[in-house]
Amino acid sequence: MKKNAGHRLMQTAAVMLSLLGTAAALQLPASADEPYDVYNYNYLGEAVPSQAGYLAERAVSGLDLGTTALNAPSDLFKDEKDQFYLVDSGNNRILRINSEFDEILQIYDSFTMPDGTKTKLKNPKGIYVSPDTGLLYIADNENARALVCQPDGKVVMEITKPESNVYDQQLTFLPQKILCDNAGNIYIVLNNTTKGAAMFDANGDFIGYYGANAVAATATVIANHFWNAIASEEEKRYRSRSTPTAFDNFDIDSVKGFIYTSTSSGSTDTDIVKKVNPEGYNLFSYMSNYTWGDLFSTWYSGTSYKTKIVDLDIGDDGSINCLDATTGRVFQYDKEADLLFIMGTTGDQVGAFTQGNVAAVETKGKGCENIYVLDAGKGTVTIFGQTVFGNIVHEATALYNGGYYEEALDPWLEVLKRDGNYRRAYLGISSAYYNMGRYKESMEYAKKADASGRYNRAFERYRSQWLREHLTAILIVIALLIAGIWGGRRFLRKRKNQTPAIANAPESKAEGGTAS
Amino acid sequence: MMDLTQPQWVKHVVFHPFEGFEDLRWKKGGTLKYTAIIIAALFVALIALDRWCGFQFRPLPDALFSVVPYLMRSVVYFAAWVLGNWAVCTLLDGEGTMKNIAIYSSYALIPYIVQIFAQVILSHVLVRAEGVFFDTVYYVGIIWTAVLLFNAIKAVHQYTFTKTVAAIILTLFAMLVILFLAVLFLSLFQKVYVFFYSLYTEILYRVRV
Repeated sequence: MKKNAGHRLMQTAAVMLSLLGTAAALQLPASADEPYDVYNYNYLGEAVPSQAGYLAERAVSGLDLGTTALNAPSDLFKDEKDQFYLVDSGNNRILRINSEFDEILQIYDSFTMPDGTKTKLKNPKGIYVSPDTGLLYIADNENARALVCQPDGKVVMEITKPESNVYDQQLTFLPQKILCDNAGNIYIVLNNTTKGAAMFDANGDFIGYYGANAVAATATVIANHFWNAIASEEEKRYRSRSTPTAFDNFDIDSVKGFIYTSTSSGSTDTDIVKKVNPEGYNLFSYMSNYTWGDLFSTWYSGTSYKTKIVDLDIGDDGSINCLDATTGRVFQYDKEADLLFIMGTTGDQVGAFTQGNVAAVETKGKGCENIYVLDAGKGTVTIFGQTVFGNIVHEATALYNGGYYEEALDPWLEVLKRDGNYRRAYLGISSAYYNMGRYKESMEYAKKADASGRYNRAFERYRSQWLREHLTAILIVIALLIAGIWGGRRFLRKRKNQTPAIANAPESKAEGGTAS
Repeated sequence: MMDLTQPQWVKHVVFHPFEGFEDLRWKKGGTLKYTAIIIAALFVALIALDRWCGFQFRPLPDALFSVVPYLMRSVVYFAAWVLGNWAVCTLLDGEGTMKNIAIYSSYALIPYIVQIFAQVILSHVLVRAEGVFFDTVYYVGIIWTAVLLFNAIKAVHQYTFTKTVAAIILTLFAMLVILFLAVLFLSLFQKVYVFFYSLYTEILYRVRV
């Protein structure tokens, strides 16, 4: 009896708790819980309030995972099995964490070399796990090498400074980031060259450099080029050369094989994010001056705060997630580089990061349901979860970018119900109605999106449709007009001839005077 | 002969580009009332071109609309033209009074205004690829107005052809000077206003403390 009563009490408490939870859920204006104002850019480049696509759910520290605190972690990677690899640089180890991000599966702090000796990492900086072979690629920075090893910690290959004429032997070899493509080629970002990533084949032989940034054509560079062209050999030796800024992070879209690079240098505005094909050609070169991140840098107390993209991640849906160290924001773009969502800030709350010291961003899920941000300063990983709004936008975007305009109509209408400021929804709906032949509606939505080009396209179709439908009526009206004019003139002439007295009336004389 | 009402004068002048203004001068026709109406119409037309066009031709987003540039391009430019022409031609033995210059010049603007409204109406039935029709309408309107304006100045001052050309060039130069001075005065008065306003607030603070 007593036991039963206790059980009922528990039940009541559980019901009340769940009611409370529901009440809290019902209250939500999506962004109210965030330590920042959620915004997006409208087509005029103004920041406007927006619905949140992601909410920060929790921050996970090393202690939460059941180990010691992380010390200046520098990279986070998610493999094909949705397991995470966290590079804990200060502790010289790599953690393998489960998909839910609450349990450590393995700690890599020592590796077995092919000859049986043990080796340890020294300030590792980057990791990549091949989806095909399951091999780990580790950029072991201060040991001046890169390791390729099996999941159990057996090293299969060690890449050290290449002995090649192409590689300047005076340069050190300090790997920062590493990845490998479908063909097994290994790419390593070094922090001391502007020629691009060092590229090695599957056997670890140095091939050359890959995907360097272009030199921005600033006035200084053009002037420099001109003076170099007319300078003598003697003078040239003392003149500076124009070199591009180096990219310092990259990610590979392992399905399509494109490598995306990001440049965090504050001294350039070109090639901040590149999409490089296997040949080394930048597919984003047509928008090399596109402003990634915040459109305007802010000035405060004599310091300029400008977007500084330190890492990017290509989601499974092709979205480009860029991490800005200056503002602690993640900028999520779709695969056409249209801005989707902005999240994060600097500060101490969950969803806020140490200014200038965020290290990596990673995503999980078919539709980018989770975003993980690694904060090196705090030694935590913050997990963002997608909101319902974010989910619908992603669904609509995926359909729209795939060319399924009509199928994207319903999601876009749903997006508008939740955020009437979301311009891409108006464009999507306009395209959908255009494909469905409902040109009038297409025009209406193009107008709301202020897209006069689309309006023009829809209007052209609408006009010819209208002309076709009303052709009979138009022809009848024209026929009646011609008949009316002809008949009227005939009637007037007849009346003039019949009553000549009117021709001599004074008013008509005045009229003649005007005509002369 | 030529006992025309005021609306008939307008029609006569516009459709007789080479003799119309001489007739107008001879009969002392034209009133400032019509000048006011025409300049107001010009103001409306300039706004219409940016605001009431078919959406496929609308260059300006709604959010960026401001009435000041339109006021500038209609009223201020016309006033500068009249003032500049009067100033130049008084020195060059012109016979026109300021009132007549305003009347004759404004009548000459009618084809230009009509052309703008024609463009606005056409823009609702044409698409971008058919933009050549706009060019045609535009050039007809602008050439017509140019011929009218030239003859208006020629008639109002009783000038020869060459002297009219010289007068118009000098007038354009005078307009530049006038607008430059206007901007100068405007910024000066702004500064004076700010000075007196800060003086006022300063005194207010002192009185309160």
